[in-house]
Amino acid sequence: MNPFEFIAVAFDALRTNRLRSALTMLGVIIGVAAVILLVSLGEGTKNYVEAQFAGLGANILIVTPGKIETRGGPPVIGAARHKLTLDDSRILEKKGYLFGGVAPVIFGTAEVRYGSRSRNVSVLGVSPEFSPVRNIHVEVGSFVTDSDVEAKRRVCMLGRTVKRELFGNANALGQVVKVSGARFRVTGVMERKGVSLGFDIDDIVFIPVRTAMDIFDTDALFEILISVRNKNDIDSGKELARSLLYKSHNRHEDFTITNQAAMLSSLFTILDTLTYVLGGIATISLLVGGIGIMNIMLVTVKERTNEIGIRKAVGARNRDILFQFLLESTTLSAGGGLCGVLLGTLGAGAIRILVPKLPVAIPPWAIALAFTFSVFVGIFFGVYPARKAAALHPIEALRYE
Amino acid sequence: MESAPASEPLLRLRGVSKIYEAGEHAVVGLEGANLDIFPGDFLAVMGPSGSGKSTLMNILGCLDVPTSGTYEIKGTPVEKLSPEALAALRNREIGFIFQVFHLLPRYTAQRNVELPLLYAGVGREERARRALEALKSVGLEDRRSHLSNQLSGGQKQKVAIARALVNRPSLLLADEPTGNLDTKSGEELMEILRQLNAEGATIVVVTHDSTIARNAKRIVYIIDGRLVTPDEYRELRG
Repeated sequence: MNPFEFIAVAFDALRTNRLRSALTMLGVIIGVAAVILLVSLGEGTKNYVEAQFAGLGANILIVTPGKIETRGGPPVIGAARHKLTLDDSRILEKKGYLFGGVAPVIFGTAEVRYGSRSRNVSVLGVSPEFSPVRNIHVEVGSFVTDSDVEAKRRVCMLGRTVKRELFGNANALGQVVKVSGARFRVTGVMERKGVSLGFDIDDIVFIPVRTAMDIFDTDALFEILISVRNKNDIDSGKELARSLLYKSHNRHEDFTITNQAAMLSSLFTILDTLTYVLGGIATISLLVGGIGIMNIMLVTVKERTNEIGIRKAVGARNRDILFQFLLESTTLSAGGGLCGVLLGTLGAGAIRILVPKLPVAIPPWAIALAFTFSVFVGIFFGVYPARKAAALHPIEALRYE
Repeated sequence: MESAPASEPLLRLRGVSKIYEAGEHAVVGLEGANLDIFPGDFLAVMGPSGSGKSTLMNILGCLDVPTSGTYEIKGTPVEKLSPEALAALRNREIGFIFQVFHLLPRYTAQRNVELPLLYAGVGREERARRALEALKSVGLEDRRSHLSNQLSGGQKQKVAIARALVNRPSLLLADEPTGNLDTKSGEELMEILRQLNAEGATIVVVTHDSTIARNAKRIVYIIDGRLVTPDEYRELRG
């Protein structure tokens, strides 16, 4: 008896009990759809985070003041807590032979006013290196120059959003705006960058770093960005920056150097784990669906004992009966798997439409895995009932009413 | 009683016994049965209910194996065969006709008839052709697309005969074939069996009904699990 005959027989049997077959499949359908949906959500989250980090180079080191302790007791009272200053930045620039650029950053918020329009925005005090290091460029005009920094010039570059809000379609270059009440000449308008890490890069005003120190009345840097010239030197670059700052801070490690790529990869590890856990939980519901299949197959075998007897009397071998029932359970689970894939895909599509910010993506491996697993579930949970059917004695089966 | 045709027996039973283990004590279903069935035979096995008729029928039909003794089909000893080999033997050599028909209710007449061919590995078109041929031989070709539970008792039993014939077995085994039929259908059915026998089929009918048994060429009697002579039978039955 060839396999296609078995499949035809299985379909026949399932058709005679449509509702029962559908309900049994539902267990598998929900399981498979849940696996696909949850894994897609995990992947979507990963994509979202990835997009947020896009533009941050893998070769960037970020130095921030203060030490993030991973172990040890409370900080020793009186321990020096140094700020990061322009001196630190200068040392890194002078002695950091591995570095392509060192960009000190001052961060503050201020009201920017032009005529009657005003807007509260983030203000970044930067040096010319910021542009290449952070890969953010002016669209028109020019970025902060060295002489701007040295002369503490009151010039500013507007992000796209700021420019639109204050000037509309009018030309902003050369105009004078007020930042925290001080007059600044607009020398540049930034190119569009979009949102990164929940931070609207287009809603920023850039000014020279020394000018910012005056405006915000501080000499403490928010961070120092370092680009390492060669990606492979990222670890030695980090060590170099650490030792340079360690020395200049009187042998106190009161700063933290983070590596963007390392941070990202550890975050992705967490997100991957989350995806697997979600998929695993959904898989449990698939197993429950399998138990439903076993349950129904046991009932079916009981109900069709007489049929089994007839088939055996006319020459069905035990393995013919085994395959027949195994194929029935597998058809149930594979059919459920197929519908589940469909439902999961539709569900993921619906989420994509309803929550456009979350770039839900169905990884092909999730579909393959969920479907394969559902087929396997049908075989696994079908074996016991099918073996029971195959082992029936033909005479007793024929006698069964 | 034994007419002695020159040919080799199709079936040969020698000292065949069947003992059922039923709880603590054993029940004897069949005891020391000796029987030869030759090609072209039309044999009736007569006995009251509980006499061991069904046991004999099950063993002849390879649905069961004897506890002791030897049973050969075409010279092949059956009692040592595996369940798989027995299934193949049933498929090739035996056609069953049961009292309660035993058709698959949700299958059409034709698909019921095709069933043995399915397990013989015959292809779809060949199956349909041979099933139709078998249905024609019992005069039911116009009912081939009817579901079997839409047929009358007589029609069902004819479908069962067609199914029994379809794989051209060596032996037709009928167990009380008219037991669930009215007199007219029963007579019609026995006529079909006589006809098939006239065309060369070997038939064994198991029955408690002497009017049915009279259709056969020869009759063996069974009582309390033993094959007996007609005289013994009359004596034991009182």
